[in-house]
Parts: sequence; structure tokens; C-alpha cells
Amino acid sequence: MKNNDANELIIANKEIAFQQQEKENRAAELIIANKELLFQYEEKERRAAELIIANEELLFQNEEKERRAAELIIANKELAYQNEEKEKRAEELIVANRELKKAEDDIRKLNDKLEQKVTERTAQLESVNKELESFSYSVSHDLRAPIRAINGYTRILVEDYADKFDVEGTKVLQSIIHNSKKMGELIDDLLAFSKLGRKEVTVSEINMTNLVETVQQDLIFEEGENVPDFEINQLPNAEGDKSLIKQVWINLISNAVKYSRKKVGTKIEIGAYQNGNIVTYYIKDFGAGFDMKYYDKLFGVFQRLHSQEEFEGTGIGLAIVHKIVQRHSGTVWAESQLGEGSCFYFSLLSATNK
Amino acid sequence: MSYHNVEILFVEDSLDDAALTVRALNKCGFTNKLHHVIDGAEALDFIYCRGNYINRAKNDSPKLILLDLKMPKVNGMQVLETLKADPVHKSIPIVMLTSSNEGPDIERCFALGANSYIVKPVDSDNFFNAIKEIGMYWMILSQPPV
Repeated sequence: MKNNDANELIIANKEIAFQQQEKENRAAELIIANKELLFQYEEKERRAAELIIANEELLFQNEEKERRAAELIIANKELAYQNEEKEKRAEELIVANRELKKAEDDIRKLNDKLEQKVTERTAQLESVNKELESFSYSVSHDLRAPIRAINGYTRILVEDYADKFDVEGTKVLQSIIHNSKKMGELIDDLLAFSKLGRKEVTVSEINMTNLVETVQQDLIFEEGENVPDFEINQLPNAEGDKSLIKQVWINLISNAVKYSRKKVGTKIEIGAYQNGNIVTYYIKDFGAGFDMKYYDKLFGVFQRLHSQEEFEGTGIGLAIVHKIVQRHSGTVWAESQLGEGSCFYFSLLSATNK
Repeated sequence: MSYHNVEILFVEDSLDDAALTVRALNKCGFTNKLHHVIDGAEALDFIYCRGNYINRAKNDSPKLILLDLKMPKVNGMQVLETLKADPVHKSIPIVMLTSSNEGPDIERCFALGANSYIVKPVDSDNFFNAIKEIGMYWMILSQPPV
């Protein structure tokens, strides 16, 4: 029995040792499992912390989104308002454009009408001008011919039939000759005057001192005629049509000479003064002069302030002067005292570079 | 009337102007061989020996033509143009006589070949002198081309 018991004990011991071993194994496994659990726990906590941060982040982002959404709603409203405004403006623009277009059409129509009127008026003026031209042609041609005949035939009577007339008859014939000649001169003067209005004014710089000296030197005096002294000052240059302004000087100077004829040892003074870009020329004589009472007639066509017996002339000279100066946009005037002399003035634009 | 050896052909429609001109020429001794026609048509008939002048000798040209400008039918300008464009007759001196210096006539006449252009003076003294000078110059002083 003892053996058995011993065996049994050995076996039991072995069993216990095995169980012990088993227990130790389990304990080691538990330690490992515990470590594992600890790690997993720590892991979980880390994750939880991260989640909290992530949540906070999300919350912030949500808030941000809501703010943005609110802003977008406002912006949308604004846009919608602007769109409406734009549409309104577009409509207004369409209306305004339509009005503009209508105004343009009106202006175009008015312009067309004006242009048509200008064309019509120009045609009318041209035809009137042509009429005037052919009128003055007829006047000069058709009136001169019969006057020439009257003058010529009367001359034949005087020359070839002198013995048939007594003194009175011969006087009458001389009167016919004189008057028909006079009428010829009047017609020529009238034509010269009407030609002036049609002549083109060609403007250039005029050397006035030269021009006046030329005119003075070309004067022709009859024998025994009173020749006045000329005092010609230095004259500034002016802008004008040389041939026309020469005619002005011819008329003014020959007038001064004519009306000085009855005074011995008299003089004629020519000068000028400048005011800005206007130069005023004057010619002063100490001759017969005229009564300022009749000044308004002075520059009229065929107007005379002296009788034919006193001083001859047709009365066209100063009318021509007036017209020429007027065509240069200048002014002409005069001062006079009967028996003391006259002074005539005319103004022109001074030459630009002098 | 003889149409031969005519030295001055005088073309003038106004009988008064014609009478005064002829008288002036007469007084200066230029009338012996003058022939007066009353318009441009007759002047051309004379030069070209047509119509009333069919029997005139063709090679017998006047030495001078005094030509009025304004005339019925064929006017002076047309006569001038015809003759100056004709090589046979263009050397005949033509003096234009006119009543006025109005209009574009002067330039046109010289462009067509007129030899002179005279405005008839109204005053008979001046008229007489003008006609006398024309006669003196063209019939005596001026040398003909042949």
C-alpha cells in the first residue's frame, strides 16, 4: 500500500507542480493581458482627447458656416436689388435712346430743310446777281449808244451847219453836247460803282506810304492851276486790296486838290495814327470845306454839296470811297468847316507783322 | 456799189454809230474803200463771198475789219471766232468796237484773237479821236503780214 500511496503522491505532486506551472503561466499571461489593457485604455483616452478637439473644431467650423450663410443671404438680397435697379436703368436708357434718336431725326430733318433753303436762296441770289450784271451791261451798252448819237449829231450841227444858227442856237447846241457828255459820265460812274460791289476783295499787306506817293505823283495839273504843297507823313502798312485802296486815295487826294483849287499857297496833309490793330489814315486840306449840316449826304451816290459851277463832279467819288472801305470792314468819316477845309478819315486793319 | 478792193470792212448794226464812224473816218480821209455791213451774218457773207456777195473776188480780203460786238443774228464774237479759226482769214486785223467795257467780253475777245478792243466814247471829240487813231494805226502805221 505504501507504494501505491507514494505513487499516488508523486502523481499528485506532479499534478500540483503542473497546476503550479499552469498558474504561473496564467499569471504571466494576465500580466501581459493587463499591460495590453492598459495600453488600450491609454489609446482610448488619447482618441477621446482628439475627438474633443475635433468636435471643438467642427463646432467652430459650423459657426463659421452659419455666419457665411447669413452673409450670403445679405449679399444675395443686395444682388437682387442691384439687378432690379439695372433693369430699371436699362428701361430708362431705352426710353432716353428713343428720345435721342427722335431728336437726331428732327435735327437731321431741320438741317435738310435749312440746306435746301440755303441752296434755294443761293440760287435766287445768283440769279439776282446775274440779272444785275445783265442789267448793268444793258445800261452801259444800250444807254450809252443813244447818248453817243445825240452828242455826235449835235457836233455835226455845230461843225457843218454853224451858219444856220444864231448865237442863242449855238449856245443851245453846246448845252446839248455838254449834257449828253455829262450823262455818259454819270452812266460810267454808276457802272464803276456797281462793279465795286461785285469785285472780289483780294487782301494783302499794302505799303501805304509808297501807294500814297505814287497816287500823288500821278496827279495831273492843268497849266496855271493852283498846286498845293503835299505833306505826307510816314504811314503804317495795312491789310487790304491794293487796287481798291489805291482808288480810295485817288478819290480823296483829287477831292482835296479840287476843293483847294481856289486857295493860293495851300497845303494838303496826309498822316495816320494807330490804335491797337486798327490804323486810321487821314487827309486834311485847307480848301473850300463843307457845311456839316449836310454831312449825312456826304457819302451818298450822286450827292453833291457844291454846285457844278463852283466845283465840277458827278458825286460818285466819296460813294466809291465809302463802299470800298465798307467792303474792308473799315470806317470812313469826315470833319469840316465851310471855308476852312476838310479832314477825311478811314480806318483799316493794320498789317499783322508790322 | 463796188465790192472790189474794199480796204475796211465795217460791221455795225446801229445806223447812227455807223454814220458817225463813217463821218469821222471821212474827215480823216479813210473812207474811199470802206464797206459797211449791218450784222455778223452779212459780214461772213462778205468775207466768204456768199449771198449778195457771191460775185466778189475770193482772194480780195480787206486790210482791216472794224467789228461791233452786240448785233442781231450773228454777233461780233461769233464773227471773230469764225475768222480767227480760219487759216485763210485769221491774219486780217480785227478791231472790236463796243459800247461798253462791261462784262467778260474783253478777255474773251483777246482769247479768240482780236487785235484790239475799243470802247466807243460817248463824247464826240473823244469818239472822233478814237476813230482817227484806229485809222491811222491800222491803215498806215501797222505793217500787214504779206
